[in-house]
Amino acid sequence: MGDKPIWEQIGSSFVQHYYQLFDTDRTHLGAIYIDASCLTWEGQQFQGKAAIVEKLSSLPFQKIQHSITAQDHQPTPDSCILSMVVGQLKADEDPIMGFHQMFLLKNINDAWVCTNDMFRLALHNFG
Amino acid sequence: MSDGDYDYLIKFLALGDSGVGKTSLLYQYTDDKFNSKFITTVGIDFREKRVVYRANGPDGISGRGQRIHLQLWDTAGQERFRSLTTAFFRDAMGFLLLFDLTNEQSFLNVRNWLSQLQTHAYCENPDIVLCGNKSDLEDQRTVKEEEAKELAEKYGIPYFETSAANGANVSKAVETLLDLIMKRMERNLGKDKYQQNFIRASALH
Repeated sequence: MGDKPIWEQIGSSFVQHYYQLFDTDRTHLGAIYIDASCLTWEGQQFQGKAAIVEKLSSLPFQKIQHSITAQDHQPTPDSCILSMVVGQLKADEDPIMGFHQMFLLKNINDAWVCTNDMFRLALHNFG
Repeated sequence: MSDGDYDYLIKFLALGDSGVGKTSLLYQYTDDKFNSKFITTVGIDFREKRVVYRANGPDGISGRGQRIHLQLWDTAGQERFRSLTTAFFRDAMGFLLLFDLTNEQSFLNVRNWLSQLQTHAYCENPDIVLCGNKSDLEDQRTVKEEEAKELAEKYGIPYFETSAANGANVSKAVETLLDLIMKRMERNLGKDKYQQNFIRASALH
């Protein structure tokens, strides 16, 4: 059984780590971003570790669970990794909703960080 | 259900904090049922009901019944991830604003919902009915009836204590909203953008 390509391994372990942190204590997500990181959350833009963590921490729900349906990873020409995730989430006691999220991962000083992050709910009829 | 055999198509939105019972209240109204498990929202999630509206004429005699096709819309819970946009409020003619009688915060947030409505609805004073829901949980109540009545009076909107679980006042709240809409239409008939909104909504079908 051949090993998965390295970008698949890095991408999928990042994804697992990200949602585990998000679902347990999202105030700790700062560790994966840098000051040049960008987050686009439902069309709203944030730049820098501090702004991103503040946004994610202040989302108005107590509990959240993510369930990953599918993920894809690609190497980019400048040695980054592009990841796309399709999944479902449940915030507090709200109905389950679909979501899409993309990450661009970059290796800086032997550590993988997220430089770009885009999130959208998969809703089509709710404005 | 959606065939064109009606006089008016009217779209209502249910608003209010997560967990106040919007979905359950709409479900109770359209299906006379209470579903205490959450209902998974897939794709378009609005409920529909046909009603006949009879306006009382100035002489107190009931006019011809008008066939109303009511569309009742709910959020999917997206307000936790982003603020609701104008697009969400588009074409809604009336609003059921709910809070939970056992949850003080949801009552305090009623003011925020009212200001959001002023920003996003088709006009600054849309027709709204305020519902204090979960009236069946009397022993857990934290919001007094007088407080809620006072707030509703201040904003000039009707107030009902409803229960999606046993159906108390649910139809009454929706019918009161419909009555407000129909009266507004009679007043405005043919003269302003409300009417245009209304025609646009009808053309959607």
